[in-house]
Order: sequence, then structure tokens, then C-alpha cells
Amino acid sequence: MTTPAVDETTGAGGPSGAAARADGVTKAYGAGDTQVLALDQVSVSIERGAFTAIMGPSGSGKSTLMHCLAGLDSVTSGKVWVGDTEITGLKEKNLTKLRRDSIGFIFQAFNLLPTLTAAENITLPMDIAGTKPDQEWLDTVVNTVGLSGRLSHRPNQLSGGQQQRVAVARALASRPAIIFGDEPTGNLDSRAGAEVLQFLRKSVDDLGQTIVMVTHDPVAAAYADRIVFLADGRIVDEMIDPTADKVLDRMRGFDAQGRTS
Amino acid sequence: MSVVKTSLRNFLAHKGRMILSGAAVALSVAFVCGTLVFTATMQTTFDKLFAESASDVMIQPGEDGSAMDESPSTGRFDAMPPEVIGEIEAVDGVETAVGIVQSTSIVAVGPDNESVGPTGGAPTMGVNWTHVELRTMEEPEGALPEGPDEIMIDGDTADSSGLGIGDTIRIMGVNGTTEHTVTGVVEFATTNPGAAVVYFDTETAQQVLLGGEGFTGVYVDGDGSVSDEVLRDRVADAIDTSGVRVLTNAEYTQENQDALGAFFNVIQYVLLGFALIALLVGIFLIVNTFTMLVAQRTREIGLFRAIGASRRQVNRSVLLEALILGVVGSVLGFVLGVGLAVGLMAVMGAFGLNLSTDDLTISTAVPITGIVLGITVTLVAAYFPARRAGKITPMAALQDAGLPGDKRAGRIRATIGAVLTVAGALMLFLTTTAERTVAAGGYLGLGILLTLVGMVVFAPALVGGIVKALAVVLLRIFGPIGRLAERNALRNPNRTGGTASALMIGLALVTSLAVVGSSMIASATEEIDRSIGADFIVQTSNFQPVLPDAAEAVRNADHLAAVSEMRGVSAEVTADGDSFEQSFSAVDDSFPDMIRVEMAEGSFADALAPGAVAIGSARADTENLAVGDEITVTFEGGEETTLTIGGITAPGSNPEAMPAYVSMETVRDSVPESELPLAWMLMAIADEGQVDAARESLDSALEPMPQMEVRDQAEYKEMIEQQIGQLLNMVYGLLALAIIVAILGVVNTLALSVVERTREIGLMRAIGLSRRQLRRMIRLEAVVIALFGALLGVAMGLAWGAGAQQILALEGMEVLALPWFTIAVVFVGAALVGLLAALVPAFRAGRMNILDAVSTE
Repeated sequence: MTTPAVDETTGAGGPSGAAARADGVTKAYGAGDTQVLALDQVSVSIERGAFTAIMGPSGSGKSTLMHCLAGLDSVTSGKVWVGDTEITGLKEKNLTKLRRDSIGFIFQAFNLLPTLTAAENITLPMDIAGTKPDQEWLDTVVNTVGLSGRLSHRPNQLSGGQQQRVAVARALASRPAIIFGDEPTGNLDSRAGAEVLQFLRKSVDDLGQTIVMVTHDPVAAAYADRIVFLADGRIVDEMIDPTADKVLDRMRGFDAQGRTS
Repeated sequence: MSVVKTSLRNFLAHKGRMILSGAAVALSVAFVCGTLVFTATMQTTFDKLFAESASDVMIQPGEDGSAMDESPSTGRFDAMPPEVIGEIEAVDGVETAVGIVQSTSIVAVGPDNESVGPTGGAPTMGVNWTHVELRTMEEPEGALPEGPDEIMIDGDTADSSGLGIGDTIRIMGVNGTTEHTVTGVVEFATTNPGAAVVYFDTETAQQVLLGGEGFTGVYVDGDGSVSDEVLRDRVADAIDTSGVRVLTNAEYTQENQDALGAFFNVIQYVLLGFALIALLVGIFLIVNTFTMLVAQRTREIGLFRAIGASRRQVNRSVLLEALILGVVGSVLGFVLGVGLAVGLMAVMGAFGLNLSTDDLTISTAVPITGIVLGITVTLVAAYFPARRAGKITPMAALQDAGLPGDKRAGRIRATIGAVLTVAGALMLFLTTTAERTVAAGGYLGLGILLTLVGMVVFAPALVGGIVKALAVVLLRIFGPIGRLAERNALRNPNRTGGTASALMIGLALVTSLAVVGSSMIASATEEIDRSIGADFIVQTSNFQPVLPDAAEAVRNADHLAAVSEMRGVSAEVTADGDSFEQSFSAVDDSFPDMIRVEMAEGSFADALAPGAVAIGSARADTENLAVGDEITVTFEGGEETTLTIGGITAPGSNPEAMPAYVSMETVRDSVPESELPLAWMLMAIADEGQVDAARESLDSALEPMPQMEVRDQAEYKEMIEQQIGQLLNMVYGLLALAIIVAILGVVNTLALSVVERTREIGLMRAIGLSRRQLRRMIRLEAVVIALFGALLGVAMGLAWGAGAQQILALEGMEVLALPWFTIAVVFVGAALVGLLAALVPAFRAGRMNILDAVSTE
């Protein structure tokens, strides 16, 4: 396992080698007295070729951070880059193109179009873009996630774990610069979840893929190279080469802090 | 109680999804209510007009029943002698008796040689000006007409023709042509029924309209000492009542009401028929809406069941929602309907028939009919979705999937649909074997009903095959977006089938009518080519008979080898003690050169010989008559005479061919010249090689008579084509309502699908589908659904039309012509409808926030 070089978490003026970067990002809902800050001056840099987990309790802003990094949501202030492209202020059309060409998504549930087969779902982003999938790469991906026998199945003929693996394959298939996972194992039992996480790990190790995953599960987070902890819209800590026990300890620490403060 | 509450909450929560269903109900109910209010208002308007204009006792021409101012076929109105006024005034209880001279057998022509009167159905009426006119007219402007050179016109005619005081008007009638100067203009105080009215002084009116003296009617007012009934009886006793009727004000009004009522009833039934078609189409929309609502709410309903709601409660809660929809939609529809009626009245105003909103007649039956109809339709439509909702088990609350598709039910449905469709097709085919119109009509009706129901039931089963085929042709060029659209259209065959069925109904009617229309045109054209030998056909443009002057002008035109008139003479015929009414075409001897009449028996020339007639084969069959038989004939206005059957005509498709013929000479033998009816058409053959010269001569001879139209064969065909085309356009216009409701159905299905697929759309957008691509996907889906509906509609319409043509064939119209142009328009139109229907749903889908979409439960 490679040891990832850790950037300073401020991210400001960080090297352009980062896969994605947030600089002083604030996301506010509402206005005036009722304003709620989902993200408060968050700066973070996502390293290429690494598996990054974003953790935090419910309402900590971890999903919002991911959505902002992925260009799904707009920010109130601050800047976001994907690769060398600043996406804050990018037009809807260009954002769509960026998502299509440079980003892969894995959601918690409902990842697949029910009318398309597994194979069609996997190649959908490339079909939409009008590009031809690289068949060799596609075979590699399909073999990696172990789906070769099920390509002609419709989503409702697949188990939950298989569906998530199809989603992983789809995310990998177009070789995006970065893959975002929003609780990708949240709906799976522990065995199926472990399978999916292993594939994600493997795609980082073997294929050099960059992955950012939001989770609240310490076991899932332990698969990452690095964990960024969020609480109340701010980055409160981070951990390199985590294990489930270390993560659990750290989480308990937050809880205790939360109670005393 | 709780059920009511849940239904109400659900209805309000989903009111956006109910909008289009509500609109469909409202539109159809509006059309029903609008029709009822409009016809009732027309009726009120005319009732008032007659009641206001009539005196206590009215003396009217005619023997019985002929209430409207119908022009006699001779064009000459029978006049009572002038002494009748004095006789009536002498009756005890009579205060005034006003003699009226009135005729509709005139044509008024302005100085620019244009007809002054309406060119449509309403007549031009000549009347003597008396004070009774002030009951319906304002005080005249200018001077009253005095002497033979003066005339007064009504204000509406003055406006439409641009004529005023000082202008010259030529009046053509059965008694020749006269010229008059306009001295005054008089406005209608009440509703103008659409006629053009010209006034003379009494003596001039008698000269111009009657060619003599006397009166066509008398307005009698009493001094109030006796009732109208008593006055009527006294007047009737005092005068010679042959050829006239003496009526009280009430009787006169009632008679006119009855005559008009029958006419309005026909209009009303026709309009209601189209409204019901729209209502039927609306059912599909409502079924789709409720089916989708129930499907979307499966988990919710499951939870409801899990916490103890019974099937009945669930079922009823859905029906209750439908009831709310029905009530809201129908009440709205009623209000819209009244608005529609007011709008229609305004439209009639543009055509010269001014209706006042003061007369707006809304009986309580109107809202009741409309609302009961709207609610019934909504409940019927919601019945099956409600039953499905009741069948949802508590387990559904725990499962993720929606309602599982019931494959077995689908197969049963497809089988029933296929069986019905095949049975219907068989019935339609049987029309080819029928030998009588009634039998063929029966097969056709049954065939239409069976194929309609069958196709509606069968449509979902056809979705797979036809949509895939359409996709191969149309969607594949759009690549993956096309494929997504195809899959979406295929996803729920019941929904796609239902949506397309709604469109199918309207388009099937359009197509079948187009088949009938084009077949009629083709048959008529072929028949004209085959049987008409005349070079020219001369008719009036306003469906009035040809005045003697005009007929004379045609006869005197140069370069004509032969001219034949056609006059319609009705007769009382007695054969073997059996009496029947028969109308004959009275023609000149040259007529066989003008039209080749197909004979079933005997020769046409023999039938036109003096003392002979030709009758139709149908009549010959029923009365058991053969060539050589003698019959007793009394032509209208003539004496009884005995004639021989010289020939029996075969049924033919010539639009001008009549079954029974007699020569003018034979008619003249028993009917005095003054009693002869006017010609309704003339035909002429030009001298050899002189067609152009003859045309020129005819045109110049008829130039001062703008009401006359000369047509050669090509123009004649064109006219028939135009007439049929106009009729078809009118029906298409009425079918537009049903098609609009069907379009709402497509919009509804797409809009609800977009809501249903919120998460999918969010997902696709997240992984890179652009707004444009998303909108295109929805548009393509809409186009495919619409084209699917068009395909079913055209196929069914062709079958219906072919069946209907078989009935025409029995009437002699044997050519089956396919309306390729209309079919092309239907398909292109359907594609456009799809694009139009997708407009709003696609826009809304494009505007969806990706994050909301992805996180929607």
C-alpha cells in the first residue's frame, strides 16, 4: 500500500496535482436570523490516486461538501476546483460536461436506470457523451467487479450488492478523474458492503483511481487512505491510514467534545 | 370521517397532478353545458321574436304545418283578395286588420352588380311597410318608400352591402325585374334572424312580389272585448279560408317554436354527440392519472392497510378523490360552458345573427346534466385504479418495489382485446356481403363498436411490437437518447396504450370520415365523367330556385345546341289502389343528351315520351310496378291524369340523378303554367366546337344576375369536392375537442411520468445527461406515443371508412378512394402533437434540481 503524502488541510495555494480542491467554501441555507451554515469556510484538497473518506455525524455537512466538490451543488462563497478547472461559476452546460467526462458517481441507492440492462447502465455515461467505450478497459472493469455473467440482467433482477457493483463499474468505466461515492454501502448488509468496498480499494490500488467517499460507518471509512472529519460544517480532524478501531476512538472523542462544549 | 379526511388531503397534496384530468372533465362538461345553453338561448330568442311580432290573430298562407316562411316551389305566393281586409274589419271585436305582402322568392342586386342579400342559407325577403313592422323594427331613418321607384332596406343589410339612401337596388322576382332607389334605412329592434329585408309601400309590394293585388297574410288585433280564440273563430267564419290558416297569437308562436325546435334539436344532438366523444376520450386521461397516483402511493397505501384500514376504506378513499375531482371539474365545466355559449353567440353575431345576452337561457337541467355526467365519467374511470388500490397488501409498505405487473391479467386482457378486434373486423368485412343498406349499417355499427372496444383493450399488447418498430425507424438515429426514450415508452404498456388509445379515437374518426369523403368525391367524379354529357351546368349560388328571367337568359344564349331544365315536381300517385308521394324530375326532351340515366328496365327515351314516366327501381320493387303499368298521377297544382310507366331507373351515384323522371311536356298537360315549379338547375350543350363561345355568351347573358353560377364539368366536380370538403372540415372542427382532450392526455402522461421518474432523471443528470438531451428524450417519447396512437387510429379509421364506403356502394357510390393527404396530415400532425405535448413536461424535467431529484424518496 502506498503511503499518501498529506497536504496541509488548508488547501490554499496547494499544488495543482490535487484531483479536487475546495478553498474557503461556505454553504448557507436561508438568510438572516434563520441562516444555517452547512459548510463554514471549508478548505480541503483531494489527492490523486488515493481513497479519501469524508466522515462526520448526521448534519455535519459531509454530504454537502461532497456535492459541492462534485459540482452537484452550488457554493455560497469560496472556490472549488476539479483537476485544474475551477467549477465555481462554471455554466450549467459546462458543469454537465465536466460531470459526464471527469466525474463518476455512486449513490446510496437508486443508482441504475430500471429500463436498461447492467451493461447498458455501465456504458450510459459514454453513450450520453457519444464516445465509444474502450472495450479492453470495460472488460477489465467488469471482471474486477465480477459481473461478467450478469451483464444482460435488468437492475430488478440483481441483488442490492450486485446493483452497487454495477454502479461502481459504471463509475469506473469512463475512467473519470475522480469518483464520488455518497454512502455507497449504506443500503447493503455487511458482507455485500465489504465486497463493494474491496472493489473500490482495489480500483485505487490496481487502477490508480481517485475516490472520495462520504460515510458514517467507521468500518467503511477504514478502507480509505485518509479520513477527513467534519462536524458542524467545519473540518475538525483527519487521519492517515485509518483502522476501524482508531476511527471509532476518534468518533467517541468528538462525541465527548460535543457533550462538554 | 378519516377516509374523507385522507382523501381530501391526498387530493390537495396532489392537486397539481389532477390539473389535466380536471381540465379534461371541465372541457367536456363545458361543451355539453355550452351546447345546451346555446341552443336554449337561440330558442328563447326566436320565441320572443315570434311572440312580439305576432298580432292577436294571424292569418298565414299554407294549409297545415308549414310554419316557416317557406317559399312555394312555384316561387309565387298565393294571395288573398284585397276585400278580405274590409271583411275582417267588419267582424265584431276586431280593432285593426293589417294586410301583409311578403315574398322570399326575390333577389336583390346592388349597383355594383353584387347580390345584396346573404349568400348563405337565409333568404332575401320583400315586405310591404306597415305599422306592425314597428314591433320588431326601430323608427326608420330617411323617408318611407312611396311609389313604384322607392325601397327601404334593413340596417344590417345596409351595413354589410355598403348601400345607403340614394343608391339603386334591382329586385328580380318571378314577375320580372324592377329598379328602386333607397329612401330609408330601418334598424332591427330585436334579433335579426339573418335575412335581408327590403320594404316597399303596399301597392308596389303587390306589383313587385305578387304581380297583382291582394295580401299573403293579415295581422288582426282585437279591441280586447273577446279572447284570441273567440276572435280567431269569428274571423275564420267571416272570410274564405281556403289556402290559409287562421291562428291565435299563441298558436302562431307555438307553431314556429315547434318548427325551429326540431331544427335546434338536431343541432343540439350533433353537438352533444361530439361532446360525448370528448368525454369518452377524457376517461383514458383519468384512468391513467389514478393508476399512476395509486402506483406512486403503493407504500403509503400499504402502511395505511398495515395500521388497520380495510380494503373497502382504501378503495373508497380513492373513489372519493375521484368524486372531488369530478365535482370540481364539472362545476368549473358548467361555468366555462356558459362562457362558451356567450362566445358562440358572439360568433353568430359575426355571421349576422345578433343574439342578446339578455336572452341567455340556463335551465336548472343544464348544471345538473353537466355535473352528473362529469362525476359519473370520473367515477367510472377511477373504478379500476381504486380496485387495484384496494388490492394492495400491507406487505407493500415494507417492500421497495411498486406494484408488480400482473402478467397473467395482461395476457387475458390482450386475448379479450384480440378477440373483440377480430370480431369487429369480421363485422366490417361483412358489410361487403350485405345487399341492403340497413343490414350493412348494422354490420358497420357493430363493427365500429367492437373494433373500438377491442383496440382499446388490445392496445397495451401492441405497444411492444409497434413502438419497437417505430423506434427502429425514428429513434435509433438519435442514438442512446432515442434508446432511452424507446425504453421509457415501452416501460408501462398500459399507460402508453391508454394514452395512445385516447388519441386513436379522434384520429380514427377523422380518418374514416376522410375515407368516406374522398370516396364520395371519387365516385361522383367518376360518375360525372361517365354520365354527364352537358357542357354547362347552371345553378344559383344560394340554393334558391332559378328565376324565370334567368332560365330565359340561358335559353337565349348563343352557340347552344340544347338546353334542359330540371324542375322538381311532387305528385300524389295511385297504383293498384295504393297511394304514395313521389317527387319527379321534370326535364326537357334533350335531357338524355345531358345525363345518361342508367335503366333497370325499359328505355329512358320511352319514359320521357308524352304520357309516360320513369320511376326508381326501389319504388318499383315496393309497389310491385313494371314497365307498361298504368298509374294515376296528380302533380302539385294540377289535375289528376293517368300515365304509363315507360322505364325503371337503376340506382346510380350521380349527385344530380333522381330516381323518377317525367318530361316537362307531360307535366304541362295537367298543370297550368302559373302552377309550374321553378327550375332548380339547367344544363346546356354547346354547338359543335363552340364551347368557348357558348361560355362567353352564357356568362354575359347572366352577368346582371349575380346569383347565377355557370359551371363546366371540371368546375362542377370542383364544386362537389368543395362542398364535401367543407362538410368534412366542419366535422373535423367539432372533433378537435376530442383531439384536444387526447393531447391533454399525452401531456398528462408525460408530466406524471416525469414526476414519477424524478430520481432517474436526477441520476442521469448527475452522470452527465445535459438538459437538452433530457428534453429531447422526453420529446421523443411523446412523439413515439403520439405516432403509436396515430397508427392505431389510422388503421382503425381506414377499416371503418372502408366499411362505411360499402354502404355508399349500395347507394351507387362505388369507388373506394384513400385520403392519402389526410393520412399524411394525421401522421405529421401526431408528431407535432407529441412535440407540443412534451413542451411543458420537458421544460419542467430540465429545471429539476439534481440534488433534490437524487435524494427524493
